[in-house]
Amino acid sequence: MASLTKVQRRRKALGILGDVYAILIYTVLYIPVVVMMIFSFNDQRYNYYWSGFTTQWYGKLLSNHALMDSLWYSIIIAVLATVISVVVGTLGALGLKRYEFKMKKFINSMIFIPIIVPEIVLAVALLIIFMNIGVSLGMGSILIGHCTFCIPYAVVTIKGRISGDGETLEEASMDLGANRIQTFLRVTLPSIMPGVMSAAFLSFTLSIDDVVMSNMLAGAKNSTLPVLILSMNKSGVTPDVNALTTIMILVIVACMLLSNAVKAMLRKRSQAA
Amino acid sequence: MKRILSGVLAGAMLLALCACGGDSSAPAETTAAGTDAPAETTPAEASTELNIYMWQQYISDELIANFEEENNCTVNLSYMSDNADAITKLTAGGGQEYDLIMTCDAYMESLIAGGYVEKLDLTQIPNSSNINEAYWTAKDYCVPYLMNYIYIVYNTETCPIDITCYNDLIDPALKGQISTIDGARNLFPIALIALGYDPNSTEESEIAEAYEWLVKFNENVVAYGAAEQNLTNGTASVALTYDGNTSWAMSEMGENNTLVVADPFDDAVQLGFDLYVIPTGAQHTDLAYKFLNYICDPEAMAKNLEEYPYSCPNDAAVAAAPESYRNDPARNFSYKENVFFQEDVGEALTIYNDYYQKLKVGQ
Repeated sequence: MASLTKVQRRRKALGILGDVYAILIYTVLYIPVVVMMIFSFNDQRYNYYWSGFTTQWYGKLLSNHALMDSLWYSIIIAVLATVISVVVGTLGALGLKRYEFKMKKFINSMIFIPIIVPEIVLAVALLIIFMNIGVSLGMGSILIGHCTFCIPYAVVTIKGRISGDGETLEEASMDLGANRIQTFLRVTLPSIMPGVMSAAFLSFTLSIDDVVMSNMLAGAKNSTLPVLILSMNKSGVTPDVNALTTIMILVIVACMLLSNAVKAMLRKRSQAA
Repeated sequence: MKRILSGVLAGAMLLALCACGGDSSAPAETTAAGTDAPAETTPAEASTELNIYMWQQYISDELIANFEEENNCTVNLSYMSDNADAITKLTAGGGQEYDLIMTCDAYMESLIAGGYVEKLDLTQIPNSSNINEAYWTAKDYCVPYLMNYIYIVYNTETCPIDITCYNDLIDPALKGQISTIDGARNLFPIALIALGYDPNSTEESEIAEAYEWLVKFNENVVAYGAAEQNLTNGTASVALTYDGNTSWAMSEMGENNTLVVADPFDDAVQLGFDLYVIPTGAQHTDLAYKFLNYICDPEAMAKNLEEYPYSCPNDAAVAAAPESYRNDPARNFSYKENVFFQEDVGEALTIYNDYYQKLKVGQ
């Protein structure tokens, strides 16, 4: 009896320790975000210190064309980079996992190169290449730049989802009369869908908050939001940027909740079936 | 069978790659062609677009709008976060993307030597005669826009000592009190002067001594960058910063201002220029010249100074500027002539960078 309570006590202590640990980690992670959000209500031009509550920045945000334009520019690039990375990533992951060919191992490990190489090195290299072949800087150059690091992440993420038994299912599907396209769309793709979704979210995140690549490859007419915010550093970031970031965080949190809800729904459906 | 399939898949992957490359580069190519075409076929036709790469929050929107209206054109401003950004873009060959690039005097020698900037035809910039020759280095290649003194400003209420020279900055009484600008070529000259050496020294032994000085200085530093912020919110009582930032800080504190520029001051202070260059291969040089001439116009520049209260090498513009600008306490100090400039230190830059990294990382 005594030993049991001892074990229970130890478990309880560990449980409290775990809670403290979790709270500590989350505090460190989220305090900067919370402070950033609070300062979006600061009644001061440059966020030097707190000087009163206002919601004016949320209104002024809409009339700040530079900020809104660069936000749209970032979103368009992120969406395109995501689509390209997911399509190329899915094809690449399937090819690299399922099929045997010469230098497969080599190509498999080559995938990691853009992930390992410091981004600034890739960015400057791309800039030099673009300038030498006469590609002018702009959305196209940023998009290609973002794809160079999004695609490897997409390939790696999706590859992890492709399991061995998928192959037998595909063979069964084709035995039952489905052609390759039908098999891909109705058997292969659904089985790797979670991986594809993760790859999409990852690519979108990497693209929308990239600053190094975008900074190097941006043209004269537009720049992405992170590049614009970085350039404000010299004179101070204004609270409308905090307001915009607060809205973005809220949208992202909403998206994540939605994605979890959809995932839960899909799981229920697959369990029912 | 599998081999064929793998081939097909690899092909599809390649195709997809090419497709995305093609898709995305297509608009870029068309825009390139679009900007190329008028310049090549009808060189006499006026440009309608001017691409400027410069600091954010450094030129008045009104000035840009007026220029656009007068010349019936669009000005595209894009912003750098660091002087090195502009240099990297220029040296990688990205110059033709822009018509005007802002850089600073310290880089001019290398940029000219590398052929990255166009030689200017000053007859096309008649207003440039308003610029004080003393503040105009590399005259054939650039037009100075605004300039910055890097000096010391402190809060009379919270700063424990009077500061009259750089050596006061390593006084232990200032521990955790200084907010300073950053960068190897901004910090080392100050240490070199404090030790009695040439601020642009290329001697390793002197730079090493300067490093030791900066280690002591570092102990007193509370923050790098954002001096105006740290002075107004009380984080720092002393700042090594630009006069423009001091002006912001003083006006932010308003009637309760207790900030003063260290004066008298025994050592030379750094004076740097932000200037415009036309990169080699620029597409819209006609508008670039018009713009350079426009910013040298005393009235236009005077209005700009009202909004951006930095020191200005354009004497006529300073004379035309409002009282509040001319009497700004941030620029009211007695040693404006006792200045030094950042010079190209050539190979010694690596020595500076090594010691700077050592300073930052801490051995």
